[in-house]
Amino acid sequence: MAQLIISVGREFGSGGRVIAEELAKRFNIPIYDRHLITEIAEKTGLTPEEIEKYNEKPKHIIISRKVRGYSNSIEDNIAEMQFNFIREKAESGESFVVVGRCSESKLKNFSGLVSVFILGDMDAKIQRVMKIYEMDEHDAREFIEKKDKKRKRYHNYHVGLHWGDSRLYDLSINSSRLGIEGTIDYLEQYIKARAALEESK
Amino acid sequence: MTAAQIFAVVIFVAMFVLIVLDKIERHFVTLGCGALTLTVVFGICMRSGSAIWDTIAIKGFATKEFWYQVTESESKGINWATILFIAGMMVMVEGMAKAGFFRWLCMKIASLVKCKTIPIFITFMVMSAVLSMFIDSITVIMFLAAVTIELAQLLKFNPVPMILSEIFCANLGGSATMCGDPPNIIVGTSLGFSFFDFLTNTGLVAGICLVVSVIFFYIVFHKEIVDGTDKPVDISKLPQPSEAITNKKDFIISSIIFGLAVVLLITHATTHLTVATIGLAIAVLTLITAGKDALELIKKVDYKTLLFFIGLFVVVGGLEETGILKLIADFIGRISDGNVKLMIAIILWVSAIASAFVDNIPFAATMVPIIQSLSASAGVPIETLAWALSLGTDIGGSATPIGASANVVGTSVAAKNGHPISWGRYCKKLAPATVIVLAISTVYLFVRYL
Repeated sequence: MAQLIISVGREFGSGGRVIAEELAKRFNIPIYDRHLITEIAEKTGLTPEEIEKYNEKPKHIIISRKVRGYSNSIEDNIAEMQFNFIREKAESGESFVVVGRCSESKLKNFSGLVSVFILGDMDAKIQRVMKIYEMDEHDAREFIEKKDKKRKRYHNYHVGLHWGDSRLYDLSINSSRLGIEGTIDYLEQYIKARAALEESK
Repeated sequence: MTAAQIFAVVIFVAMFVLIVLDKIERHFVTLGCGALTLTVVFGICMRSGSAIWDTIAIKGFATKEFWYQVTESESKGINWATILFIAGMMVMVEGMAKAGFFRWLCMKIASLVKCKTIPIFITFMVMSAVLSMFIDSITVIMFLAAVTIELAQLLKFNPVPMILSEIFCANLGGSATMCGDPPNIIVGTSLGFSFFDFLTNTGLVAGICLVVSVIFFYIVFHKEIVDGTDKPVDISKLPQPSEAITNKKDFIISSIIFGLAVVLLITHATTHLTVATIGLAIAVLTLITAGKDALELIKKVDYKTLLFFIGLFVVVGGLEETGILKLIADFIGRISDGNVKLMIAIILWVSAIASAFVDNIPFAATMVPIIQSLSASAGVPIETLAWALSLGTDIGGSATPIGASANVVGTSVAAKNGHPISWGRYCKKLAPATVIVLAISTVYLFVRYL
């Protein structure tokens, strides 16, 4: 079977992580999201909590500086480690699902890459976040906006292109239209078609 | 204020903000701002061809003084001597790194002290300072931090205190000589000082401060370093120094060239060879001896930094030509009210505080014409102000993780190897060390020059 790398970008509350997990199950391939943190923790000796603290977060511009590709920002260094990790996995020929980490851009040169971006209606995202995190509507909205703002800054800083811009992804899909299950089914079909095409090359 | 002055200030402030924001690569920032200075400030506002010509300063290449200087002279505009010297040293350092010189030196010293943790800690601090007197601190820390982490894994000690101490000592060592830190090269070439001038003035106090720093870091870090090193370690598993050498012939040649560079720098006041000539000679020698690898060495030169310098000198030239820097100098003169002690303290401490947060290279380049003007108006010897500026910019940079290039590289190497260093962790020990060294420097300047 040809290499298959599924990159899942997502808005907070859109169900992107759940969709990615289910796709990994259906294609029987590993997923790198939380697992990416534990693997890097093992490799570096840091605790997963330490990595989580700086995970997918933009650096603080005023207190960070870059010199010849070296950065004092811990966020930058954790991000770089994660980019290297997924790049190494991709170079090894392994098939996997990766959530976020600018993977649609960092792995764009791999022919087996299928990149999707999951978005959602704000109302649907708020309902989902209220349920999962037991928040009221106001807090859920603020939480979503805060998380997405960070993801956007993180992505745009490391890639230089706009997070969520449909031109960066093979497919952008609103999970509020078909629901989480429906979106997974739809994506499965699409990815199977892409994999078949790749196989026939 | 005239239109030219307003535009010069706006361009300068925009350049600083853009450098801090780090959205656009810093060499594009300075080159873009430099182009604006030439066209808007000099061309449109001042309609002065001579200002453009003076700032570009390209005619300097054709003068004998640029290459061979019997009497000391000052330069203006783009400081080509600084650029040529830094470029030459970059080529030499690439050659040394390729041959395995730095790794070999680190491993050799570790093996000489029998891989004992505390002796490694002390010798690496001293080595960091001594190497940084001649080689840029980025390269020194890049290798030293990497070897420290490697040894830490084998000898089971915490590398963070050691890396922090090495960073501090690299910045301190850089302050000791004319070629140790870019601000010193700018100060030296702009004001016509020699390597020896620096060594006998900033070098002396740097030496005193190094002793104090080693004691300070030993007191604050030794428990943390030895913690966990009580388990027996099989020394035979440690890498041999000779394993670091990639090619014996290249290693010998690069060591000889480095030795020659050191001799040429120490003797340049006697030989009258300028740092531009030394930089060019060392680069040519490295490239000739590199043979087929010459192209690879040239490609590795950090052109971005060189372009950054060119743009920066033009922007600072804009402030200088429009008289803004003279206004600042007059302001410092007024607030110090003829009190030379206060003037020295302002230059030293303001330079140090500024360098702790912003790049010390643009700061030093901006301050040089200011101290020139201040020296002329207040009648204070330029040397005294120059040493205060050098010490302030070089040492002040140690206080925060972003103050100097070595800090960024050291903390980055540590983080990439699983030892992230937060601002709090960094500043807790290095900010007090910086204040101690600055206090010693203040006393030194007062006692020796007043």
